[in-house]
Amino acid sequence: MFELFKLLGNKRLFVLLVGLVTFIALMGFTLSPRTTLSWPEKFLKDSVGFVQYVFYKPASYVAGFFKDVANMRTVYQENEELRIAMGHYTRDRLKYNDMEQVNEQLQKALNFTEEQKNRYNYGSRIAQVISANSDPNSRTINIDIGENAGIKPGMAVTSQEGLVGVISHVSSYTSTVNLLTSMDANDPTSNAIAATAVGKEKVFGMIESYDPKTGMLKMTKISEDSNIQEDDEIISSGIINNFPKYMRIGKVKSVEKSEYGLTKTATIEPYASFLDWKELIVIIPPEVKE
Amino acid sequence: MVTRKQVLFLLLFVLFIAEGTILPLLIPSGWHMRISANLVYIVILFIAVYHHRHTALVLGIFFGLLHDVVFYGEMIGPYGFSMGLSAYMMGLIFQAPRAPLPVMVSVVILGSLLNDTMLFFLYKLFQLNHVTFDWALLEYMIPNLFVHFVFALIIYVPLRKQLERIGKRRSKTEEAS
Repeated sequence: MFELFKLLGNKRLFVLLVGLVTFIALMGFTLSPRTTLSWPEKFLKDSVGFVQYVFYKPASYVAGFFKDVANMRTVYQENEELRIAMGHYTRDRLKYNDMEQVNEQLQKALNFTEEQKNRYNYGSRIAQVISANSDPNSRTINIDIGENAGIKPGMAVTSQEGLVGVISHVSSYTSTVNLLTSMDANDPTSNAIAATAVGKEKVFGMIESYDPKTGMLKMTKISEDSNIQEDDEIISSGIINNFPKYMRIGKVKSVEKSEYGLTKTATIEPYASFLDWKELIVIIPPEVKE
Repeated sequence: MVTRKQVLFLLLFVLFIAEGTILPLLIPSGWHMRISANLVYIVILFIAVYHHRHTALVLGIFFGLLHDVVFYGEMIGPYGFSMGLSAYMMGLIFQAPRAPLPVMVSVVILGSLLNDTMLFFLYKLFQLNHVTFDWALLEYMIPNLFVHFVFALIIYVPLRKQLERIGKRRSKTEEAS
């Protein structure tokens, strides 16, 4: 007992223990899902975010210039591909317009409410990346719009290629995006994304975790009799958690039976590359009227 | 002369900003997932060895918490805790105003391993990472170590000179009083 008092009498150790407890408590408290930040956090995030914005923009222009010079050769090929895509688009647009009109008439005939009609009319905001955190334990990036543009935690963020992550915290003028790479089914705050395959909308699965070793996403809980195949395009289905529909996620790399043989598990190669950040798009769901 | 400390502090802040904005653009894309250099921490290690460990502790907690709040993904606190404590511990063991280059380099190597390990286990404690330690060691801690090592070599001469000037002035004022 005397030994213990002697140990605690050591000021250094005492301060260390107090610090340890304080920090563990702080981590535990901030780990729980918080919807709003306190004002000191907002102030810090906004002021540092502004400085980061000033630094990131010129730096990304310079880096972009060198990358453009390096990519000069591939421009012709890319142009070719874009022309083909443009051709597809003009053809599909006619079909789409016609179908949309029919759809609207049918919705009217069936007395859809305003909310049901607008459920999938997502808005979008373009955002500039201002900084990236490369900490492998929790990778995040900051973007330059926040509460001022109506951003809320939980909104989906995509790049031109595909889904990148989910907004985790918002301050007045900046917000933080939690990348898909830090997603895991065993996390205390995990949010799985309900997903389906293009053209096979009966397929249902949950994108649950990202494997940092292989760089692949894992889609689980696919029913055994579904016809999911390699190279299927996986998009979000918007069934759970108000997560928006029609977000491109990735391509099926392989399908296996799960551990207990009751369901299938698919490995998915994400479209987004999780590097070279410039502009991102935040998807804003339509306002739900009370 | 009064402002040397403040200027150094501002430079440290600029380094923190550059770490989040310019550094990710400089790293080649193949290494993007593997390098997460913490340059501010290396400067703090220098301060721990050549100046005083308490200054290093305060600076470590300050910049760690700043990092945590600005890049608030999962929780606040791990960086503040690990940067402060590991800089303090390195200062406690190695603090010597006349430490030569080899000592400083070994401090950088040990300190950066200590910091990364501490962060790894803090995230492990809250079940936020699910990789094994030896994989993490090979995947990012050792590449990080090399980046930190090179950075320490670059800043060694100018930073040590500045810190020694601050130290001299401090001892002079102590004699005068």
